[in-house]
Parts: sequence; C-alpha cells; structure tokens
Amino acid sequence: MIRFDQVSKRYEGGHEALSQLSFEVAEGEMAFVTGHSGAGKSTLLKLLALIERPTHGHIVLDGQPLAKVHAPGIPRLRRRIGMVFQDHRLLMDRSVFANVELPLVIGGIAPQERVRRVRAALEKVGLLDYERQLPVSLSTGEQQRVGIARAIVTRPAVLIADEPTGNLDPQLAVEIMELFAGFQQVGTTVLVASHDLPLIKRMRKRVVVLDHGRLVADVAAEEVL
Amino acid sequence: MPIDAPSGSRPEGGESSRHTRSRPLASWREHHGWSAAASLRRLAGRPFGTLLTIAVMGLALALPLTFYLLLGNVQHLGDALGRNPAISVFLQPGQPGSVAQLLVKQLDARDDVAGVTVKSPQQGLDELSKMQGFSDALKSLDDNPLPYVLQVQPKDGLDAGAVSRLATDLRAMHGVDMVQDSGTWRQRLDALLHVGNRIVLILAGLLALAALLVVGNTVRVDIASRADEIGVLMLIGASRAFVRRPYLYAGIWYGLFSGVLAVLLALLVEAVLAGPVAALSQAYGGSLHIGGLPAGLLLAAPLAAAALGWLGARLVSAWQLRRAA
Repeated sequence: MIRFDQVSKRYEGGHEALSQLSFEVAEGEMAFVTGHSGAGKSTLLKLLALIERPTHGHIVLDGQPLAKVHAPGIPRLRRRIGMVFQDHRLLMDRSVFANVELPLVIGGIAPQERVRRVRAALEKVGLLDYERQLPVSLSTGEQQRVGIARAIVTRPAVLIADEPTGNLDPQLAVEIMELFAGFQQVGTTVLVASHDLPLIKRMRKRVVVLDHGRLVADVAAEEVL
Repeated sequence: MPIDAPSGSRPEGGESSRHTRSRPLASWREHHGWSAAASLRRLAGRPFGTLLTIAVMGLALALPLTFYLLLGNVQHLGDALGRNPAISVFLQPGQPGSVAQLLVKQLDARDDVAGVTVKSPQQGLDELSKMQGFSDALKSLDDNPLPYVLQVQPKDGLDAGAVSRLATDLRAMHGVDMVQDSGTWRQRLDALLHVGNRIVLILAGLLALAALLVVGNTVRVDIASRADEIGVLMLIGASRAFVRRPYLYAGIWYGLFSGVLAVLLALLVEAVLAGPVAALSQAYGGSLHIGGLPAGLLLAAPLAAAALGWLGARLVSAWQLRRAA
C-alpha cells in the first residue's frame, strides 16, 4: 500500500515540484502516474525511494511511515521496494545473472537460494537463456527486462517504475507493461510513472494525473477509455 | 519472445531481511568472501595500474626496512669492534704489587666487571722494549718508571653509561693515578645509532603516511570511476558498509602485496650486501657477525602494510561515500 497525505516538495531555489498531493494505492493495485514533463512524476518516485524527503506531508509505504525511516534504515526500506528505471541502471561489466543476483547478495540470501530465485526471475521476464551474457550484448528491451528481473527477484511488496518503456518500441512497451500487470495480479502493489498516454489507456489501470506538482485527476481503471 | 506472467503466490516483501536475520553470521561471512574476491578481480582487471600502485607503495615501505637492516648491521659492526673494550687503570708510581692485587680482589667482586689482568712494571717495560725505537731509550733509564697497570674488562652488555660509572669508580680507588676509558668512541657510536634509529622511525612514519595517501588516492579514483555502480547499489538497498567493503578489501590487497614486495626488496638488499659483508668479516678473522632482518619483522611488515592499506581505504571511502549518499 502507498499513501500520500498532503505531500509537498519544494527544492532549494523555491521550485515546488509537488504540492498538497494526496492519494492512495491499495495493496495489490496497479496505478499509473502521468503528466507532462516537469509535472512531478519523478519527484514522487524519489520520495517513495527516500532519495528525496518531502517538505510537508506524510508518506506511508507498505505500512511504514517514511518520516520515521532515518538514514541507517533507508537501505532496509529500499530492499522492500522493487525499482525499475528508464535507463535500466544495469552494471555493464557484470553478467545478466550477476545483475539480477545483486539485491539478493545485498539481502544476505544463501547462494543456492540466490541461484533458484535469479533463474525464476529471469524465467518470468523470458531471459533465462541469457544469464551468462553481459547486458551490453542485449537489446534495449532485453536490458529493461533484466532491470525488471532485478526489481522482482527479492519478491518486493511494492514495485515502482520510472518511465520503464521510455526507450522501447510500442510492441515491447506493451509486453513490459503486461509484465507489470502480471505482478499486480499476484498481489504486488505497482506504481508506474509514464507519459505514454496511448499505452496507459491500453492497459486500463488506474491513472493519477499530475500537473505542475498538483493532482488534477485520479481516474479509476474502469473509467479509463 | 513471449513474456511469462508471474505465477505462484503473491511476492513477499521483506523476505531478504528475514533470510538475513536467520543467518546473519553466514551472510556476513559470505559477503566478506564475495567482497574480497570481487576486489581482487577488480585489481586483476587493471594489472598495469595495480602493479604501479603496489610498486610505489612497496618501494616506499622497503626504504625503512632497508635502513633498519643497515642500521642493525652498523650496530653489529660496532659490537664486533668491541662493545666494552678494557679500561686501563694506571696505579701511582711506586705502588707495590700488593696494592695491585688488593684492587684486583675488589674489582673481581663487582657485578659490572668481567675480569681483571695485572701488568707489572717489568712486563710493561718488556712490551715497550719490543717496540721499534724504544729499546735504546729504555736502556738509558736508571729505574723502571712504569707503574702497575690493571686491564679491567667490563661485563658484556653494559651500556655506555654503566661503563662510564665504572671508570669513575676506578678513578676514586686507592692508589689509582689515571684511568684510560677507551669506550668514548663507543659512546659516540651508540649516540649516532640512536639518532639513526630515530631517523628510521621518522622515515618509516612519513613513508607509511605516503603509502596511506597512495592507497587513499587509488581508492578515491576507483570510487569516482564507479559512481554509477555505487548509485545503483544504494538504490537497490545496499548499505554504505556493503558498498564500502570491496574498497576496504582493495586497500588490504594493495597493502599486503606492497608489504610482500617491500620484504622481498629488503631481502634483495641483504643478499646484495652478503658478499662484501663476508669479505669484511674475513678481515676481522670471521668474528664479525652480520644479522639479517628478524623473521618477526618480515612477517609483521606485510601485515602492517595491509592494515595501512585498509586504513587509507577506510578514511577515503567513508568520505567519498558520504559525499555520494
């Protein structure tokens, strides 16, 4: 579950990226956050990942008030979130397997269990045969799927994605989004920031629309045309 | 390629931490092993830069070891030339042999005296007469003007101060005219060795600092070149300790290898000196004992260098990662 309660974020210099933002994404729900460039989508995800702190308001993530998470607790909280980035953020000098394995190494999972889980995650994104390859030898879409496998390998309760289909062709973008929808179906809370309106409409999920940091529309899945 | 929908039960958040809690020691050990191996692979991945760093550090650490070796051997040389040479005690002219014997008895009872030999005036005269140019001069003497002389040998291991105190006591003894303490040169040598030891200590400190800076700078560059990777690790939940660990191991490897190199270089210097030293020993009838670096030091040097590398890496990585966070 994700809850934003009257959240504002003002950067140094006075720019207000988010203003009085309140919304809630229920456990096991999938929602899109959309808006034009500078609407506050990325800031919203940064607040969830504790890369930034809100100036005002409260955020609760998977039952945990983020205001109570201090610096030493940030890594532990991030291990409970799966994060997918537009630019994948893979380690190019390590194999696909090693990239996906990283969160499990960080989490202190036993080696045999790591192998099992990495293979399961790679199988889910259709890249089991690529585990020994370096990411650089993969296509952009495949790299994004490696990033998704890395995000889901710890079986997070919450999955957040920042423009995960930004660099992909439409067909691949649909495949990636269907993958996210699949995770939602098994109970993961999924929040995807995207400005790809045709894709969002096609997915028929809840849409939170931001404009200049303010929530201007919150459209339920069944109302998406 | 089709993308499979996930199957099975709902993914569970926080499973990683549950596993960590149930096997904290095993996890800690595994990550140390992982970090040690990963850092070694990184070092091996850029052999030229790694060897250059190790060479610079190794040379810096070899210098104090070599100086220590040389200084130790100067000390050995001093010992071979006479650590506590005998003190000559000249009795007042006309003092009879009984006085000399009495003094010998008193001196033999002292803890700081190894032995005393008595040289009678006649023995002294005989020695002088054997010297070129003295025999004719001695013939013209009516009486033997030489006094009894005692050769007092201080105990081995006495420092210069104790020998000096012994000489003072000898001067105060009944019937003694003059005391000739030839240990002054030894005192000077000891003072010089003391200065040398202090210089080696200062040098070792400065060069250790240089080695610390070399490791620190190497790790700093390494961290800067891996800023993206560090950012990713932190975003997916790595703690600072986790991120820092491979860099600490890199510091340990740099230190350990450069310590081994320093020891090898010092042993090389020892081997190069062995020939000339053997010749010098021969000149002293083989009595000159030249020592190498003690085994304890040879073992301690790489370990101390590894600790130095760890410290350099720790200081820099803490600062760098604080900035990156």
